[in-house]
Amino acid sequence: MSADASVGALSERTGFDAYRDARAIIRLIQCSRCSYPLRVPVTLPCGNTICRMCLPRSHVRAGISYPANQERQEGFTCPFSDCTKEHSLADSNPDVVLGKVLELIGEEVAKCKTESSEKPMLLEEQAVVHPSMASSGLQFDRPRSRVLHGGRLLATYTFAEMGELAFNSDVIYKPLYDDEDGGLALDMMLLDRLKEVVRNEFDCQVCYALMLNPVTTPCGHTFCRRCLTRVLDHSLLCPLCRRSLSISPALTNEPNNERICRILATICPEHLASRTETVTREEQGALGESQVPLFVCTLSFPSMPTFLHIFEPRYRLMIRRTLETRTRTFGMVSYNRTREPQGNLGTVEFREYGTLLRIINAQMLPDGRSLIETVGVSRFKVKDWSILDGYVVGSIDRYDDISLVEEERIEAAETDPARRSNANGSSSPTAQLDHLSTRDLLDIGMNFIRRMRDNSAPWLHQRVLEAYGYPPEDPALFPYWFASVLPISEHEKYKLLPTRSVRERLKITARWVRRAESQRWYSGTCTVL
Amino acid sequence: MALPKRIIKETERLMAEPVPGIKAIPHEDNLRYFDVEVHGPSQSPYENGIFKLELFLPDDYPMTPPKIRFLTRIYHPNIDKLGRICLDVLKSNWSPALQIRTILLSIQALLGAPNPDDPLANDVAQRWKEDEPAAIQTAREWTRMYAVSENR
Ligand SMILES: [Zn+2]
Ligand SMILES: [Zn+2]
Ligand SMILES: [Zn+2]
Ligand SMILES: [Zn+2]
Repeated sequence: MSADASVGALSERTGFDAYRDARAIIRLIQCSRCSYPLRVPVTLPCGNTICRMCLPRSHVRAGISYPANQERQEGFTCPFSDCTKEHSLADSNPDVVLGKVLELIGEEVAKCKTESSEKPMLLEEQAVVHPSMASSGLQFDRPRSRVLHGGRLLATYTFAEMGELAFNSDVIYKPLYDDEDGGLALDMMLLDRLKEVVRNEFDCQVCYALMLNPVTTPCGHTFCRRCLTRVLDHSLLCPLCRRSLSISPALTNEPNNERICRILATICPEHLASRTETVTREEQGALGESQVPLFVCTLSFPSMPTFLHIFEPRYRLMIRRTLETRTRTFGMVSYNRTREPQGNLGTVEFREYGTLLRIINAQMLPDGRSLIETVGVSRFKVKDWSILDGYVVGSIDRYDDISLVEEERIEAAETDPARRSNANGSSSPTAQLDHLSTRDLLDIGMNFIRRMRDNSAPWLHQRVLEAYGYPPEDPALFPYWFASVLPISEHEKYKLLPTRSVRERLKITARWVRRAESQRWYSGTCTVL
Repeated sequence: MALPKRIIKETERLMAEPVPGIKAIPHEDNLRYFDVEVHGPSQSPYENGIFKLELFLPDDYPMTPPKIRFLTRIYHPNIDKLGRICLDVLKSNWSPALQIRTILLSIQALLGAPNPDDPLANDVAQRWKEDEPAAIQTAREWTRMYAVSENR
């Protein structure tokens, strides 16, 4: 709603003033249709608020056959010029927290009135011609004036309560008594009480802190956007009234409660600022560069794709947070089924070596699940871990191959003809592999793949090649591709992750080939080693 | 890991405005773990008993309910030998808008109104249905044996 530019400007100033800003403060609680202080406020699905009695006449909505319940059949055209959509009556329930706050404000004002001695003041309405005036229900022939009591704040509230101060109008104040300081003291007291009401009542019932980016549900209950999203990860019921919520769990189409946002930004800007800062810090902590979220799920390899279906609440949260980071990466570690000790970590649920995955495509389904397409970035080793909001986070060390110089040195040493003849006497199959050149080791794998494709092995089906691509020529990457497509146990494949050289990896893949050939399972049928 | 503001506030409120007949005190070294005492409601077989429970707030609390268990032995159709409690709000009917205070009140209410039709302790529930006065008598005896301080 753009009805009032001056409130927007006001919210940007930190210091506001009961005397100077009295008019703007009262406007925060006025209905933009009837101009009275909001009576039974209803916050519509578009985030705008109106009195229940100011809702336009409802009509039977056309073309709605699902869901076929009576309440949803009735609707009205939204009176706000920035919306004008059709809302269902079922989605337009009283805004519970706002209603309570308005009631409490009314009580505080009433108390103030009895406390105020005679401090008459002339209030003259100054009509402001505003483009959105047309939508306002109050049409005045000419501005009104009244002699009212109290400080400016109290008198302005009274003016609005009498239905004589149009939402868009300004007020000119002319005190009719000498002691203007007395009126000011009254205003300050009233404002302090309003602040207290606002601070106490606008606490979110999930996080117990001031509502941040409040979203009001169709049932009329308000929560922080962040809290409501987390709630919806677990259940589609409203936490307060348990009615089922007809909103999409990601809250993509649910705007903030505009009215509550403005009240908080105006009445307690310092609180709102510190709350925003805390949440930003928390989210950064959750996403911090040193701490990486770890998904305990499957084996993934560098440069290879991994497709994930995310449905568990804790992982939904993890993926959402990851999507908000610059790098969009998280760690994938495989489940430690055999509960083998993992180095310094001891016996943990997951294996200590994993792969950093970058999200390249995320499809959020309307029910909150998501389909995620990732690609392996690099390997890591988990140094330490803890639990954050139900999922594992770890501090990790990047884990890379040795330098090329070192790689060459090892190959030269192992393929040295002198050493080779020495070992000839007792040449086990593995010892033989040790003496092959790195290129030859790669060829064992490449040739195997070629033969398998010629034999139309089912595990090399076109579908598989479309998902993982054709075997990479790069010897450093070939083993990762090979492991992604070869039907052997995870336990065996995991051996690639802790390797430190290309040669070491290619020896592992060559051994897989030798073993496969000896078992002859590869010839057609798909048996798992 | 920092304790969420919600848990801090709940704890503060539990301390500042304790519920009559209910005590919940967090461990100093683990603020998510509470020692709980619930007084048996008057007019119930658990009257005069003080029942000890343990309560733990899991990592994703309040998205998931607290984990609660009776430590004191109790004869009740909805509480089993291990102290586990059959209470809908601790399971499928949990809502993040509930809190430690409301959950403990529900447990106290459960002591006042056993529900043998939704049993956890099957043998107790059966007895409760077949011979209620006898079951209540046993519940009274157990309360005296295990939950009244002179006898502990
Ligand atoms: Zn609208
Ligand atoms: Zn109105
Ligand atoms: Zn919240
Ligand atoms: Zn609700």
